[in-house]
Amino acid sequence: MIEVKNLTKSLPGGRKLLDGISFKVKKGEFVGILGPSGAGKTLTLRCLNGLLKPDSGSVIIRDDSGGQLDICQINKRELRRVRQKIGVIFQGYHLVKRLSVLENVMIGRLGQINAWRSLFYGFTDAEAEEAVKALQKVKMAEFADTRTGSLSGGEMQRVAVARAIFQSPAILLADEPISNLDPSNAKTIMKMIEPLSELMPVVGVFHQPEMTAKYCTRVIAIKEGKVIYDGDPKLSNKRLEEIYGEELELIEQQEHLLAVVAK
Amino acid sequence: MPLVVLLALTEGAAIVCGATFDKLFEGLTRGIAFFGHMFPPRWDAFPEMIEPTFTSFVIAFLGTFFGAILSIIFALLASRNLANPVVRSIARFLIGLERSVPEIVILILLVAAFGLGAMPGVVALALGCIGMLGKLLADIIEEIDPLVIDSIESVGGNKLQVIIFGVLPQIIPNIISYTLFRFEINIRLSVLLGAVGAGGIGYELDYSFGMLQYDRAFTAMIIIIAMVFGTEQLSYYLRRKIKMEGALK
Repeated sequence: MIEVKNLTKSLPGGRKLLDGISFKVKKGEFVGILGPSGAGKTLTLRCLNGLLKPDSGSVIIRDDSGGQLDICQINKRELRRVRQKIGVIFQGYHLVKRLSVLENVMIGRLGQINAWRSLFYGFTDAEAEEAVKALQKVKMAEFADTRTGSLSGGEMQRVAVARAIFQSPAILLADEPISNLDPSNAKTIMKMIEPLSELMPVVGVFHQPEMTAKYCTRVIAIKEGKVIYDGDPKLSNKRLEEIYGEELELIEQQEHLLAVVAK
Repeated sequence: MPLVVLLALTEGAAIVCGATFDKLFEGLTRGIAFFGHMFPPRWDAFPEMIEPTFTSFVIAFLGTFFGAILSIIFALLASRNLANPVVRSIARFLIGLERSVPEIVILILLVAAFGLGAMPGVVALALGCIGMLGKLLADIIEEIDPLVIDSIESVGGNKLQVIIFGVLPQIIPNIISYTLFRFEINIRLSVLLGAVGAGGIGYELDYSFGMLQYDRAFTAMIIIIAMVFGTEQLSYYLRRKIKMEGALK
């Protein structure tokens, strides 16, 4: 389980980017974080795996055996160890384009292998086989030896999902994983992420309320750095207006346009 | 007015250096006579120049190889996105310092320390790479996709793993391309350093001139031109191939 308590982050001028964000996510949940641009969604997510240090607050990770630690209070070495168990799927895929698809998937376990082993790209045959199995789950096994840079956006995101699967994390974070994708690829990626929540808590940042309504088990809405909604993923129009304000019209237009393009 | 000042400065500089048109014409006449002594080249000296040519080539190759390794290390230490500010400042300072010292000065210092031979030449060329290659590669590392670094750190990867899996794959085409370019420069420098004590074909040229064997010196010059031209063509072909395959993208 992951528990976020009272996260705050301000700009040097004093403007609050995160203003007391709190929530809990447990295994079996697929939580979608929604909110207008600049609300603090991605900042919150980056705090969850220590890529960003908040000014105050805590991010507590509890394992099944009852052990717990606060990501905001640990040193760099411990953070590296904890990150081995936190999978992240990024918006821009974040893959090394000059490496093969298989190598990119194996990067998922980089934190778990000895630094000297990695000097010689030292993954074992068993690990490579496991990486291929992860690729099979996202239907990309036949591209294992392909250079990643030659893939399409949708294919790259599937590789990123395979990397997260291969990492076998205890928590999965997804930072706008479908923002760069067309509706068909977006659905495919959501269908691939959804079942992973049975194995681990999944938290994702999204811009598509209709996708979170369909695939997430819960939605958290953030506006001006505060949680303004935490509950059922199916949101009424009134609620959406409350969350997005003027941006809602833009989102609806975008969704409509994408649907037309997809048809 | 600026033209008058420029002419006055030029005239002043010529007087200080003792450069006059009389001397230029005198030199030209002597030069033409001197070229006369060089023809025809002594082809029978060709076999004895094969080994020194190979020595120069090896000096340039090893100098470039070790220089590239040193440059990569310095570049990693000098890039803003990988090194801490103190280490980066020191590495950038050393790169800048090396760039301000010509290879020939490094060689003279090394010859004083280690004596004559190929080894000081290799070391001088290797150190000489750092100023140029180190800076170019550091600038390229600073421009790589920062998100890749984020993604490797996000799975718990350490600095070494970030470098091996995130940085090097992105800059390998640049490393190869710039190293080949530096090899071209080092081939020319190896001839120059040879004349100052590193051995090789540069030494043969200098020795021939010293012994007034101008026809032999001309043979050495032909070999040098062929070696430099051949290396440049090979390097150009390889760099073009890398570019055409899209490896630099």
